[in-house]
Amino acid sequence: MISANGLSIFLSGQRVVTDLSIELGEGEMVALVGPNGAGKSSALKALAGVTPLAAGEIRIDGVDARRLSLRARARCIAWLPQARPVAWNLAARDVVSLGRFAESPAAYDHLGGADRQAVDAALEKADAARLAPRAFHTLSGGEQARVHLARLLASPAPSLLLDEPCAALDIVHQLSLMETLVAEAASGRAILVVLHDLELAARYCQRIMVMEAGHKVADDGAQDALNPHVLEHVFGVRRDAAGALVRAG
Amino acid sequence: MSRLVVFLTLVSLCLFALSGLVGTAPLSLEASLGALVGQGDAAARTILWEIRLPRAAAAFGVGATLGLAGAALQGLLQNPLAEPGVLGVSAFAALGAVVAIFFGLAGISGLIVPLAAILGAGLATLVLVVATLRGANSVTLLLIGIGLSSFAGALISLAMNLAPNPYSLSDLVNWMMGSVANRSWADIALAAPAWAVGTALVMMAAPGLRALSLGEETAASLGADIRRTRILVIGGTSILAGASVATAGAIGFVGIVAPHIVRPFVRHDPQKLLVPSALLAGVILLAADVLVRILPVQQELKLGVAAALLGGPVFIWIAARLGRASA
Repeated sequence: MISANGLSIFLSGQRVVTDLSIELGEGEMVALVGPNGAGKSSALKALAGVTPLAAGEIRIDGVDARRLSLRARARCIAWLPQARPVAWNLAARDVVSLGRFAESPAAYDHLGGADRQAVDAALEKADAARLAPRAFHTLSGGEQARVHLARLLASPAPSLLLDEPCAALDIVHQLSLMETLVAEAASGRAILVVLHDLELAARYCQRIMVMEAGHKVADDGAQDALNPHVLEHVFGVRRDAAGALVRAG
Repeated sequence: MSRLVVFLTLVSLCLFALSGLVGTAPLSLEASLGALVGQGDAAARTILWEIRLPRAAAAFGVGATLGLAGAALQGLLQNPLAEPGVLGVSAFAALGAVVAIFFGLAGISGLIVPLAAILGAGLATLVLVVATLRGANSVTLLLIGIGLSSFAGALISLAMNLAPNPYSLSDLVNWMMGSVANRSWADIALAAPAWAVGTALVMMAAPGLRALSLGEETAASLGADIRRTRILVIGGTSILAGASVATAGAIGFVGIVAPHIVRPFVRHDPQKLLVPSALLAGVILLAADVLVRILPVQQELKLGVAAALLGGPVFIWIAARLGRASA
């Protein structure tokens, strides 16, 4: 679905991603992990089309992404950013409806039946149906995160990019989020999710990409990608006798 | 059409009727109503059709365009304190008018001052569009607007310092305070095409404004063309503000107050905010103009002063609440 080759990204003159390649296929659920500042968010932004590329090429279903209109691209890839501002005190349901924007930019009341169904289903999957009529700014941080997740799930796009979706979520909702993503992948969507919790990544994702200082250093199944060498040299941790992650050295 | 729009339209019509009935000339209710349908004596018909109704149309039109421009700019900048004044367009429109007065061009034709105001607004627009095409984001645009406003303010002060005679100085003061007294249908005819074009541009940007609720990057990822939205809103509001300043001088705060009142009634949707905000701002300014006409004071209060007296405290209240919310 998404095939990116040789991506390089600069942020205000600073090189943040170097020669990164990402393959993401239908039905795949892939975790993108790495220490702070490794370039994970920048990589996601480049795939979402909101950060310019210094080098490299992104192909979406075989088509050069530069040839796609913004709307056509939004129909292929949906992105949940790390920073999620909501400028106005919209109803939670209206925030979710924005996920349908690429399909129908019309005002909320004029959403078609298919769009409304997608919004309802997404609210249900994100355990946010109860929050739908609430004013967004009256929701807690975790509740807001679930509404944002519903916005993403409501999208018509088959590929979903999520940047730290677990932040602000309690443990039950973290697990149910991962299960929801697994189900989405099983239904044919392609999922690329930035995670900080390596256990969560290993448990739910078929493949793990590890980034360090702008480079991809591993891209494999959980066991191989998170091998002791990577754990120690990239993350500075190791497994103790009980198998728990502890600080290395 | 929503019930809110229908309600505001009805209120507007009532206020139009009311504004035909009040004024300094002693005209009985009967005479006014007669004149409205073309009956009665010629003087009454002239007062109604050539003085009161064009004045009401000017007040409503200026209010509506300022309300629409304010609502659109707030959506673009995701900031409830934005209005045409913020981008420096109103200040440059006033500067254009002031320069025309200062150089004595106003005497050539009644249209010179309005045209100069639109030209001034166009100049500020040009700066903003160039900045937009170079990728300036909303914060940068706000800062450029503050710079343009200050610069135009300084130039206006300079013009006032250098004003050759007291007559033109009092003209300047009148212009800066804002008023729709003595507006003719010719003034409306000059402004109306600009109002129409500006409104069309802003309405084309409406869906983009809704996507911008989630910030510029997310909006772009949703498939909204943010650069197009920016150009449409900046171009449209500049034309609206320029034409409004040309018609009535500088009138502030209406563009902030009306969207603020409407917002809860449209579930805070920046797209659905546009039309009701325009109608309500028209209603507010028309009501304010009826008020200044019937206030028993020696010299008629300027409309801009009345608007600022009502709108200033509301502006400060919103700003204080915003400060608390983000603290």
